[in-house]
Formats: sequence, structure tokens, C-alpha cells
Amino acid sequence: MKLELKNISKNFHGVKALQNVDFQLKGNSIHALLGENGAGKSTLVKILCGVYQPDSGTINLNNKQQIISDPAVSLSLGISAIHQESVMFDELTVTENIFIGNHLTKSNGLIHWNLMYEKTKQLLDDLEANIEPNEKIKDLSIAQRHIVQISRSLIHDADIVIMDEPTAALSQKEINELYTIIRNLKNQDKSIIFISHKLDEVMEVCDDFTVLRDGQLIKSDKISNTNKDQLITHMAGREVGQIFPKNHIKIENEIFQVRNFYKKTQFKNISFNLRKKEILGFYGLVGSGRTEIMKSIFGITKPDEGEIFFKDKKISILKPSDAINQGIVYLSEERQQLGITGLMSVKDNINMAIIDKNSNFYIMDNLKEVKNAASMQEKLNIKVSYWSQLAQSLSGGNQQKTVISKWLSTKPEVLILDEPTKGIDVRSKSAVHQFMGELVGEGMSIIMISSELPEILGMCDRVVVMYRGLIKKVLDVKDASSEQIVKIASGEE
Amino acid sequence: MKKFLLNRDFILFVIICIGLISVGFANPLFITPSSISDVLTDTSILIILALSQMIVILIRAIDLSVASNLALSGMLISLLSTVHPELPVYYFIALSCIIGTILGVLNGVSIAILKVPFIVTTLGTMSIYRGLIYFVSDGKQVYSSEFSENFLALIHFKFLSLSFLFWIAVAVFIIIYILLNHTRFGRNLYSLGGNPDAAKYIGINENKYIILAYSISGLFAGLCGYLWVARYSVASTQIAIGFELTVISACVVGGISVMGGVGTVLGCLLGALLIGLIRNALPAVDISQFWQLAISGAIILLAIIINTKTEQRKEKTVMVQE
Repeated sequence: MKLELKNISKNFHGVKALQNVDFQLKGNSIHALLGENGAGKSTLVKILCGVYQPDSGTINLNNKQQIISDPAVSLSLGISAIHQESVMFDELTVTENIFIGNHLTKSNGLIHWNLMYEKTKQLLDDLEANIEPNEKIKDLSIAQRHIVQISRSLIHDADIVIMDEPTAALSQKEINELYTIIRNLKNQDKSIIFISHKLDEVMEVCDDFTVLRDGQLIKSDKISNTNKDQLITHMAGREVGQIFPKNHIKIENEIFQVRNFYKKTQFKNISFNLRKKEILGFYGLVGSGRTEIMKSIFGITKPDEGEIFFKDKKISILKPSDAINQGIVYLSEERQQLGITGLMSVKDNINMAIIDKNSNFYIMDNLKEVKNAASMQEKLNIKVSYWSQLAQSLSGGNQQKTVISKWLSTKPEVLILDEPTKGIDVRSKSAVHQFMGELVGEGMSIIMISSELPEILGMCDRVVVMYRGLIKKVLDVKDASSEQIVKIASGEE
Repeated sequence: MKKFLLNRDFILFVIICIGLISVGFANPLFITPSSISDVLTDTSILIILALSQMIVILIRAIDLSVASNLALSGMLISLLSTVHPELPVYYFIALSCIIGTILGVLNGVSIAILKVPFIVTTLGTMSIYRGLIYFVSDGKQVYSSEFSENFLALIHFKFLSLSFLFWIAVAVFIIIYILLNHTRFGRNLYSLGGNPDAAKYIGINENKYIILAYSISGLFAGLCGYLWVARYSVASTQIAIGFELTVISACVVGGISVMGGVGTVLGCLLGALLIGLIRNALPAVDISQFWQLAISGAIILLAIIINTKTEQRKEKTVMVQE
């Protein structure tokens, strides 16, 4: 056994984040660590990284008991983590990010830049990554950043690599490349702890799994002894019925149309329409221009050319408030940076976009605000203890629901959702899907960008497939197969 | 090549040259070698303090107490020189550095251990250190006649007709250049400022670096305490009042981001030189003192606008097939 955690417990102000959890990692294996948001996965990872100390329990590494008192100890024991949040240094070069905290020095104690550069180049060549060692991290794509993080673990000669949702923001092609790298790591006798919400990939990549729920160990076994449905049951603690509660709603007439959108270097010839009560999917690789188009429609960026028609009338959207006034809203993919105001209360977040409607002669009407927040809270089932609770203290799923409430408060007719379920757990996901079904039932039309095919196939009526800034095809989901969509999106058809 | 021309440090260098030439047209006396040498001497203390302030700004903090620290260290060694004129000059320099470092450590401990926000801490110590000068000197000045010959021995030293102060500034530049670019300590300062959370994960002890950064800032403030007092041959409660703002301006103009983790040592030097040039050139071309402040302020604002414009992320491009 390479790593063995026994009876690990951790409390935060009386909240039991982990209770007597055992975890065993074999050498030379890929181990999935599963659980809904808040199940205790991050706490466990942070204990391994030395960020938190367990209140009780022991950690054995290669059959020797260890105390991981701080992150430096964790690194020196050969544990390296690739975190979900950015733990890169945007302003520093690739080389320096790889060697960070472990700079090579010459005999006189000064940093050996040339040697570091050479080693980085060698390493990136070995990984067949097309990254220049002198590039700054801020100029890299998300997939390239992951590769830099992996390189960092390799340089530190890590024995155990922890990957926290490494594929969350990657396209299918990049994901496949990452799988290859992960399997190579395994073949080099390293062990990988793999955290993911995507069960398909867990089934595909991993050897073993451990499921946590509410801070407790639920099940640990070989992947070959289980299946997806069982895993979902373990994680959710109940049978999750239909994952995509698509209601059969009669689609009405065209309500919204985009004609000939063009923006230099971003997208070209973008024309599509949206019908009332329809869910229109946008599928494509990350970076295919989906988000850029939506931002232009919403007035965040200006397209060079193009027209928008709404209810058969040409409208002009120069800034987001124009779009909101027309009844078109956009929910950003980056909810942490662009959607949620962490230091404001949940109530204020929900009411943020309708300050005008909630005030009488410029004075806020608190009652109206509470009423609106309460109706939204009930509708979306946001788990909030009290109205002044800060939004940042909510879990990812509840934050997402809060952002959705904010925009629904404006009573939109066209809702643009950008990766609405990225990085949230199975249960919250299904709640968001359920809700989307209800919204179209009430007469709303939805455009949904998603990189998850099952979500597209399960939720949408039609799907627009994009490749490199162009609309390649618009398919009726009824007649589309996932293979066909992937092919088009990767430019093969 | 294009990248090089758009380089911030290069642009700053060009601005300094243009400034120097245009002032030269208005007042040819200003660009004689001796006059330029005077400007450099005059700017040396600013350079030293800007470079040490840069270390603090890199980790997303600010040290407002440097000018008070300088004045207090300077006053203490001046008082000592009136009592013990026989002590050699190195003694005074070393002592001034030690006093400055102690004052810097106090800042660091307050911020890192007592968790008092840096702005509150250094705003407080700015007043405390300044107040202590009244306390130790009874509000009196130490006049030029009271300094011993030993005390002023080095300040008139010249090499290649450039002053002692200038060569000290050159030495400090080299030391800090190596420190920030070629030592683990320096690189870790960049990581800590660039992304404090991530720095924690790679095992950087934030508190240690905060205390060290403020110690270095204090050390050089102490050194400048000696330099200032010796150069102007006067120590009083009023010396260098408000100078911390000039120092911070020099850093900002030099492209040291107050958001932390960004900025080059060369840029910082150029920033200090530009501010020094403005301070010396405006009187030389007969601009009234009231306008001088306004013009300095406008230039600082301009620098910040340039900073934010150039720091803006490049828009990611999606290749469109043409």
C-alpha cells in the first residue's frame, strides 16, 4: 500500500468535514475520489497537501507513519496536487512555474536560469506539449496550464499526484491527451488520486474508487466491480431517477434571430434562430467561439458586423443593460468572477439586477427585496441559513442557483446559459436541469452552451455545433448521435 | 523586435531621454555633465528607497513609514555624533542601518504576527517614528556645525566625478537586482505577490517573507537616514516629510504593480530617475512651485493609466478559417 489514511477526522467550528475516514491508495494505480460538493473531498486533499491538519487519525506513506505539518513537507514526501482553482503564477514564465519553490541554483547559490530552461524544454518535448518555456502563464490556454502543472509534479519527482477535476474546462481532444499523460504517469510507477464529477471518465480511466458523503466513507472498491448507476447512488445517497428531466413542451414560433455575426479573429458567418420554449444547445471545443458569440449578443463585446432580431423586430444591443431591458440575459461561465459577488449577502445578490424595480423614488424597498429573494429561494431550493448570509459561504451548486435567481428576477424571455452545470455535483446538476425544463414550460427560451454531450443530448431540442469560430451544423437532437456531434466539433466532418 | 520596443522599461527610458532633451532646449545649462551629475546625486536616495519599497510592493503591501524611519535613524546617529564625534563614519552608517532594520522588523511583526493590516500598521508607525524624533531631540535641530568631521568624511568622496551617494545607489541597484532575479528569496517574493494562495501550496512561509521584506525596507531606510543627514548636514523633525509618497510614486511610475507580483528592478530604477528628473527639471525651466506639484501628480496618474492599459489581458483569439 503506497498511502494509507486511517480514521481521519476533521472539524471546522463544529462542522464535521471528515469523520473517521479511511483511504487506501495502491502503488501504480489511478484512484477516483468521488462525492458531491461538500462531501469532504477537498478537505481530504488539503490534509494530504499539508494545508489542514487532521484532528485525529494517522497517515502512512510507504508503511511509515508521517505527519504532514505544512505544504513543504507534503512536497518533500512526494505528494503533488493539481488544483481545481488556479495555483499558477500568471505573471511568471512556464519555466519558473514548473520550478517554483524548488528553483535550481548554481554552486554560488544564485539561480541557474539556463539549466531550468533546458530542463523545462526537455520535459515539455517529452510530453509533446507545444509550449514555449519562456511564455507567461497568462498567455496559455487552460489545457496548457494543466500540462504545466503536471510538469511541475514531474519535476518535483512526485510519487503521488492529486488531480482535482483536471478535465472540467477541457475539450474532448484535450481530455484525451490528458488521459494519455495520466496513463503514462501510472506506467512510471506513480499513483494518481483523480477527483472528477464526470462518471464516464472515472469509469474509463480509474482502477479504484472511494466515495465520500457528508464527510464519511461510503464505499471503496475496484472500478471493475461497479457501474455508473451504483456510483451515483453511493454519491447521492438515494436513487437519482432520470438525470435529464426533459419535459415535452410544444415549441412555438421563432422569437429570436442572429444574422451574420462576425468579429475579427473570433467568429464568422454566425446565423441562427431560437424558437419560443426551445432549448438550443451550443456544442464545440473550448475555444471554438461559443462564449465569444454570446458575449457579443449580450453587449459585453461589440461584433464587427451582424444583426439581432427579437420578435421580428431588429434590435440594437450596445451594452448589457440594453439586452436586459429587452429581456435577454446571459449567465457567465465564470460564476466566481463574473456572477457571484462573494462579499454581498445572498439576498442582495438575488436582487442585484432589479434594483430599479425594488425601489420607490430611489429608496430601496426592503420588503420587495425579501419577497423576491424568498420566491426565488423557494423556486430553486437554494440552501441558505439566513438572508444576510454571504454568497461566498454557499456551496458551488447553491452559488450557481443564486446567480440564476439574480437573472430570473429580471423576468427574461431569452436566457443564455454558459456551461450552467460546470463543476457542480450530480444532485445540483439535476436540479438545474429540472429547473430549465420548468422555465421553458413557462414560456422562456434558452440557449445553453455546454461541453458535456449527455447534457446537450438530454436537454436540448436542437444543437448548434461549432468549430473554430464557425457554425458547422445545426442538428435536431432527435436525429443526432453523439459520435456525429463529436466528429463535427473536432473538424473531422 | 516589436516586443522589445513595446517593452515598458524601454518606453520609460525613451520618455526620460525625450524629457532630458526638451529640458535641454529650454535651458541648456541643465544638460551639462556637472548638472546631470547633480541630478543623479539628488535622486540617489529616491532610487535606494524606491528599490527597497519595490520589495514590499511586490508582496502586495506598502511601507508608508520609510520617510519617518529615515528621519528617526538619521536623528539618532546625529545626536550620537554630537556626543561622540570621535567615532569613525562606518560606525554611524552601520548603526543607522541597524536602527532602520529594527524599525522595519517592528512593521513586519505587526503585519505578519499581529495581523494588523499593512496600511494601518505603516500609517501608525509613520506617525510613531516621526513622533519619536521630537521625543529624542526635544524638537531641536542638529546643525551642520555640530556634525563631526568623521561623520561627514565619506559624503564628499567622488569617483569619476560622480558622488558617493550615486555610487551607493548603484551598489544598491546591483544588490537588489541580483536579489530579486537570481535568488530563491527574490523569486519567492514574486510568487507570493502574484498568487498568495498558490504560494502557500508550494510551501512559502508568508509571514517570514513579510517580515523579511519590511526588514529590508527598514534597512535601506536606515541607510538613507545617514545619507540624507550627511548630505544636507542637518537633522530635524521635519526632514523627508512626505517623501514616502514620492518613493511610492517612483515605484508606480516604474511599473511596479500595487496588485503585487509584477515589476522589474530596471523599471523601478527608471521610475525613480524620471521622478527625480521632473523634480529637478521643473525649477530649471522656471515653472512655479504650485505647478510643479500638479505636474508631478499628472505624470503619476498618466503612468498608472499606461500601466492598466498595458496590463490588460490580451484577448484570446479563436482562429477563424478564412
